[in-house]
Amino acid sequence: MATANPMTRMLTPEDLLTDRSLRTRWRIGFDRAVGWVLPLLFGVAILPILAVVYYVGSRALPTLTVTVLTSTSLTAGVDVLGVPIICTFEIMAVATLLAVALGLFGGIATAEFLPDRLAGWIRTTANMLAGTPSVVMGYFGYFTFVLYFGWGLSLISGAFTLAFFMTPYVFRTADLAFTSVPRHVREAAYGSGAGPLQYILRIGSRIALPQILTGVFLAMAIGVGETAPIVLTTAAATIVPHSLFSPATFLTALIFANYGSSLGAGYVNVAFQAAFILIVVVMLLNVLVRIVSARYQKKLEGLYL
Amino acid sequence: MSTTAVPGPPAESQPVPPPSSPDGAPRTVRRRGAWILHTIVPLVPALVPVAIVVAIVFALLSLAGMSIGLSLTPFSFRFRGPVNFGWAFFGSDFAPPYHWEIGVFIVGSFLTAIPALFLSMAIGLGIAIASTTYLPRSLTAWLDPFVDLLAGIPSVVFGIWAYAYAAPYFGVTINPWLSMHLGFIPGFGGSPGLPTGEGLPVTIFILTLMALPITTLLIRDALRSLPRDLWESGLALGATRWETMRRVGLPHGMRGILSAGFLGFGRAFGETVAVAIVLGGASRYPTNFYGETGTMAATMFALLDSAYGNGQFLALLSEMAIVLLAITLAVNIVGRRFVSSFVGYEIAGM
Repeated sequence: MATANPMTRMLTPEDLLTDRSLRTRWRIGFDRAVGWVLPLLFGVAILPILAVVYYVGSRALPTLTVTVLTSTSLTAGVDVLGVPIICTFEIMAVATLLAVALGLFGGIATAEFLPDRLAGWIRTTANMLAGTPSVVMGYFGYFTFVLYFGWGLSLISGAFTLAFFMTPYVFRTADLAFTSVPRHVREAAYGSGAGPLQYILRIGSRIALPQILTGVFLAMAIGVGETAPIVLTTAAATIVPHSLFSPATFLTALIFANYGSSLGAGYVNVAFQAAFILIVVVMLLNVLVRIVSARYQKKLEGLYL
Repeated sequence: MSTTAVPGPPAESQPVPPPSSPDGAPRTVRRRGAWILHTIVPLVPALVPVAIVVAIVFALLSLAGMSIGLSLTPFSFRFRGPVNFGWAFFGSDFAPPYHWEIGVFIVGSFLTAIPALFLSMAIGLGIAIASTTYLPRSLTAWLDPFVDLLAGIPSVVFGIWAYAYAAPYFGVTINPWLSMHLGFIPGFGGSPGLPTGEGLPVTIFILTLMALPITTLLIRDALRSLPRDLWESGLALGATRWETMRRVGLPHGMRGILSAGFLGFGRAFGETVAVAIVLGGASRYPTNFYGETGTMAATMFALLDSAYGNGQFLALLSEMAIVLLAITLAVNIVGRRFVSSFVGYEIAGM
């Protein structure tokens, strides 16, 4: 009994490999070599992320203090981040509200009401809008809000331009969230006599809301990192804007204005500090999206049981 | 009781005809006149994206027509005159206010976007194949989100990182090395460019990184969504993993791979700020591979300030915007025809 019965031994690939010709060995060897080489390409994608975070962090963190973050007054040689942070909050708040108002209802309408052909055309248009280069969006904002509406380089021009940039993302996730509500849930709702509005407000939205939320967060992550639409439509303000129509600035705009500054190391450092804050904000939003979306997937799977 | 079909709610005694759509599923319960509520009212918010696209095209066309005094009319698009879409428009001599030729920027856009596209497609294919075939699921569950994070880094942050760290490395080390060892290829020899490194190579490097998450993600999705039977039938025939990928996976996932190419190109082609920071912003053809030039997006971004109050200059820039928009939209539409899923774009922020 001590010697292993060859019939009960675990089979290995070598047992199945009866063909030991040179060509077969070459094929298997090549396959293994590919298996070792291709994963190294992950490094090409991951190293730059680490490099960006490391270099920006090492440049920003030594001089990043609470005073720099909160002070709104300029001191000689050193810029401070209070004004851009406040402006970013204000512009993002207005732009997110607008983008949700413009995108959410359209997404629901496309998913729930419109005939399929028309909905398909509208989805294509939304995709086109999402593919528009940001500089073209900036031109549109400059021509329309700054020049034609006469709002000038101001907070509200920037917020509107950014909102139009973010709208298709909200639209698409709202559309996707409502179309991916399981059919039997929808049928049960309508079958028990609910009207479309009752279905949307009471049943559909409960299932779709988390995904809509991820869409809004994603739109915010994309919006807060945009430079061209903001730089072209808001003036580089150095004081806190006192109304919607006064000049404003943005974290990305500050980075772009300061990165090559010849006024001193303080000005360049502040660009890196702003960049570091931006990275942290965007990463947090991305993590939030992942958490909410993972929960949503579980919930959807639960509905199918 | 008459037996003719009477519009309106059916009487109690008659069976209610089930409302049905082509797939047999009732979507909404319809009453008389409800189509206004169910089709016309929802149409209003649904047309918002269409309205925005129309507004963008309208605004650009209007500004393009401003210099000959037909401002804010959509069809004042000029094909003649000092600013025009004629042959001179695509020339190489850009020196306002005397010449208005933007060909150099169109060439510059393609010169940076196409190499970046090929590089990011090659790397993205490699990563996607490794992730779907060679690495265990427990490992890719950690590695894949890292690649997606690359899409989350704002382009201006990439730009200043490249300006401060990557570009000098290119200028001092990589460009001279390339110039020395690849000098026998036409265009790759000669002066290795500025020591600060601003020029084509570092721009292509940055654009590759920015297109990489999109190409990787779309190719990965395309390969993952293939039915399991396909892979297993290949393996069961005795093919190695690589042979299965090469003969089964890649041909069947070709649509997704093509769409990854188109959308990655769209991303690289329209990229603005990072390119404006590292390309040098010259308005001439590059003398060799290491030279400076300008792309359409970066030039438009840099020059809007100086065009203030100059109608002809604004018109020129908006004509450039129209060309850029047309190319990007065409690429996007073609690319999205190949894929039906939304999942990929949402994560890559496309």
